[in-house]
Amino acid sequence: MSTKPADEIQLTIDGRPISVPAGTTIFDAARVNGIPIPTLCHQQNENPVGVCRVCVVDVGQRVYAASCIRQVESGMTVKTSTDQVQAARNTLVELLMSDHPAPCARQQQSGDCELERLAGAAGIKEPRFPHRTTARGKDDSSAVIGVDHEACILCDRCIRGCDDIRQNWVLARRGKGYQAGIAFDNNLPMSESSCVSCGECMVSCPTGALTNKRVVGTQLGEGDVLDPAELLHLPIFQNVSGTFLELNQKAVVKRHFKAGEIVCREGDFGSTAFYILEGQAEVFLSSPIAHVKTEGSSKGFFSKLQSLLAPREGDRRSEESDRPFIPIDASVDLPYDNPIAELNPGDMFGEMTCMSYYPRSATVRARADCVMLEMLRNVLDILQRNKTFRAQLERNYRARALDSHLRSVPVFASLTQDFIDHLRDRVELLRFNPGQVICRQGDSADSFYLVRIGFVKVSEQRPGGELILAYLARGGYFGEIALLSGIPRSATCTALDHVEVVRIAGEDFQLMLDRFPDVRQKLEAIAHERIEENLRHTVQAQNVPVDQFLAQGLMEAQSLLVLDLEKCTRCDQCVRACADAHEGVSRLVREGLRFDKYLVATSCRQCRDPLCMVGCPVGSIRRRNTLEVIIEDWCIGCGLCATNCPYGNINLHPFPAELDDPAHPGHKIAGVRVKATSCDLCHDHAEPSCVYACPHDAAHRVNPPEFFAGLLTQPTPTKGGS
Amino acid sequence: MLIDRTHRKWFVGSAVALAVATAVYIPYALRAPQGPRGGSALGLTYGIAGFLFMLFAGLLGLRKKFPVWRIGRAQSWMRGHLWFGLLSFPLILFHGGFHFGGTLTRMLMWLFVFVWVSGILGAALQHFMPRFQTAQLPMETIYEQIDRVRGQLAEEAGQLVEETCSALEGEVSRASERQRAMSASAGTQGGLTVASGLQANQQVSTQLRQFLDEEMRPYLERAGAHAMRLGQTTQAQKMFQQFRVLLPPELHSNLDDLENICEEKRQLDKQSRLHKILHGWLLVHIPLSYALLLLGAVHAVVALKF
Repeated sequence: MSTKPADEIQLTIDGRPISVPAGTTIFDAARVNGIPIPTLCHQQNENPVGVCRVCVVDVGQRVYAASCIRQVESGMTVKTSTDQVQAARNTLVELLMSDHPAPCARQQQSGDCELERLAGAAGIKEPRFPHRTTARGKDDSSAVIGVDHEACILCDRCIRGCDDIRQNWVLARRGKGYQAGIAFDNNLPMSESSCVSCGECMVSCPTGALTNKRVVGTQLGEGDVLDPAELLHLPIFQNVSGTFLELNQKAVVKRHFKAGEIVCREGDFGSTAFYILEGQAEVFLSSPIAHVKTEGSSKGFFSKLQSLLAPREGDRRSEESDRPFIPIDASVDLPYDNPIAELNPGDMFGEMTCMSYYPRSATVRARADCVMLEMLRNVLDILQRNKTFRAQLERNYRARALDSHLRSVPVFASLTQDFIDHLRDRVELLRFNPGQVICRQGDSADSFYLVRIGFVKVSEQRPGGELILAYLARGGYFGEIALLSGIPRSATCTALDHVEVVRIAGEDFQLMLDRFPDVRQKLEAIAHERIEENLRHTVQAQNVPVDQFLAQGLMEAQSLLVLDLEKCTRCDQCVRACADAHEGVSRLVREGLRFDKYLVATSCRQCRDPLCMVGCPVGSIRRRNTLEVIIEDWCIGCGLCATNCPYGNINLHPFPAELDDPAHPGHKIAGVRVKATSCDLCHDHAEPSCVYACPHDAAHRVNPPEFFAGLLTQPTPTKGGS
Repeated sequence: MLIDRTHRKWFVGSAVALAVATAVYIPYALRAPQGPRGGSALGLTYGIAGFLFMLFAGLLGLRKKFPVWRIGRAQSWMRGHLWFGLLSFPLILFHGGFHFGGTLTRMLMWLFVFVWVSGILGAALQHFMPRFQTAQLPMETIYEQIDRVRGQLAEEAGQLVEETCSALEGEVSRASERQRAMSASAGTQGGLTVASGLQANQQVSTQLRQFLDEEMRPYLERAGAHAMRLGQTTQAQKMFQQFRVLLPPELHSNLDDLENICEEKRQLDKQSRLHKILHGWLLVHIPLSYALLLLGAVHAVVALKF
């Protein structure tokens, strides 16, 4: 729109005399006088750029003028809809339609693709011109906006919306000719860019190039649906496009909880996150904070094993975690001794459940009457990218959780309060999407990372392929080896799901090591162990070649229960012994893959790539250096590890427990709680019970590469022999 | 249990024990004024030793009842059962001086012979059968799950047949359209060729369903059923080969799967039979052993008291 001071200009548009202030464009002059001119790249709230040329008009000159940018001149005679002008417009639309994937996503969703509407009005069904032969692709990385470059007409409305209206400066043009397109930052996938998901680009887009992604089952059943205007009043939704909120209206609702009412229960599966607007809630673990212990019920000759629950103090296991805090999916961690904490207005919980569909990590109950927002993933994604909300979240984290998060890592237990205060404003909270690399093998090291949410895969690239070294959950950390040794990164760390990490800059890390020599010592010891372990993995991987062995996943195992089928009489004594040793819950099934004459029984394999550990909402499953899986006291029995184990080797062991009576708050009733268990190698005894009880010397617990070494180095016989 | 080199110590120990027992028995038998008797000092020694060996062998059952008790590895108990059990026979023979004696002792001796022979048979079965089973039955499963697996195979066969018939019938409906088009443009002659092809597909589809209902399903759902045609490999191969001729090549993989299902069923039946053989002998051996121990105790009391 022109900014010149108004002098009246007289002109004629379609035979009508019109008077408008100087500086007015022909398009605006026609619009205010009720003469419609079609357009694609022009929007009233944006500066015109005249790229599409659909708004061309005859101004009596050699070439037609783009009315959105051409200013009126005194005495100008404009014809907006002659046959020739229409023909020119139709040709332009037809050319655009020849590359357009009709019907595009917007046309399918809401029937309002502006290009297809123009084409329909012009009677264009099948463009005469051939389609583009080079594909421009799609970008599905964002949780809320679908990007289809094939449908983009390069009108730049999204760029102007992002830059001029929202001042986010994320979108721009890239490429030339047929490769031209729009790009986020340096042509990054949308979710990895600095895009804040305000939705302005999507609202501005005239075609299906940028569309709203609906989450399947978008509507939340319970709660009050909020008007976009109401949502925009909330500070956390500042700078979010109102239209965008309108499109996602039923994906966020207001819920009211009375004092004492349960908001969500630990172990339940869900897909929503909660944000507290008013009131207080308490978050706690109702599962017994104890681990499954198998012990002899009497000493001496006739010892029998029984399974019971034992807390850390009562039964100290080797390499048991000394964590004082239990990590949960909220802005606080729970103290081990008394796993209960308070949530206040401004706190959010259930992010991991919402983004990655993990089970709820804790039970939340309203302490006073509460008002909360419950939201689905697309709305949470908008919030997580919103600067105002992120700033609030980070403030809360620094004030309430950073302390306990650092102290929950045993290595950092001795950090003083003043150093933590020093770190408080210097740490950075970074988010990564599934598959995004956090740091790459070979890069120079400048940071140390603590995992706050999600799971990180640590892997090393070897000539033979990728070797998974570890999975890290909340409370895990990485990046110390390179910083301690001054060498490039020795492994690649990749986000397995929606990950948030706390980044401590290299200088602060060095300062920490200098001020706290015991922390340096512990980190150096752990780094040394990790390097040794990684080397062992690599050597073993290099020495074992065989296809079938690898194809059956046996390479991943570090300890297999194998049954020699030439000795085994299928008497099932091994299974009976395992069940007897574990209160009737066998951790072994005499069925599985065959390798040569051996049956690889279904029993924990102590995998190198322990998929069971990914997704634990409370980070309670990990592995000791002795290979055995250890399940910490705060296992909530959600069963995700059992589901994740590809071999069915994790069982849920029921125990009697006292539970809150939902009908009578404050009272307890008898119930059952489950705890995850897997083969514990009967560590109370010299030999696993299955092996001990086999009468035929058929059952053995072995290290696969060593046990099968002879078979693995034999050449494969060729047909027809020489 | 595979009797292999790991039994060497037991074998040597037992051989030495037998040699010693024999070396002591021969002069005793030659010198005894009324011949070797169970009641003599040496005879009693042999009898007690033999009975103790039998008792130990009998305790294996109890040991297996409490697999978790740390009272020696089950493997050691089994080897003891085998070798002590083997040794007990010559010792009892030495005890009785190779006479079977009166009614009770004769009954006891014959019982002992049956127990001992069934034990050797069992050991032989446990030595050879696992290898045989492993080689013959690559598709074996847990014995108690056989019925369930059979049910799953029947279900899978049904799904495969439906899938094959749908593919054939899909071909039929596509071909119907082609036929109409061809008839319209090329005349009746072209239409006839396609029509006869259509009929053939429909017939094959019907035959396949019939085969499932009349042959496969009854065979898969019944345990055993060796007498049925699909229970015999060569017959089954012929039947499936006929279908291969009738079905288009792209559907042969489904036929291969159906044939594998039948093969798996045959293997499950075989597994069932072998399992019964491998464990069935225990139905003779165990009750007779208990009877032997009981009667042996009665004999000891009667012989010593009266």
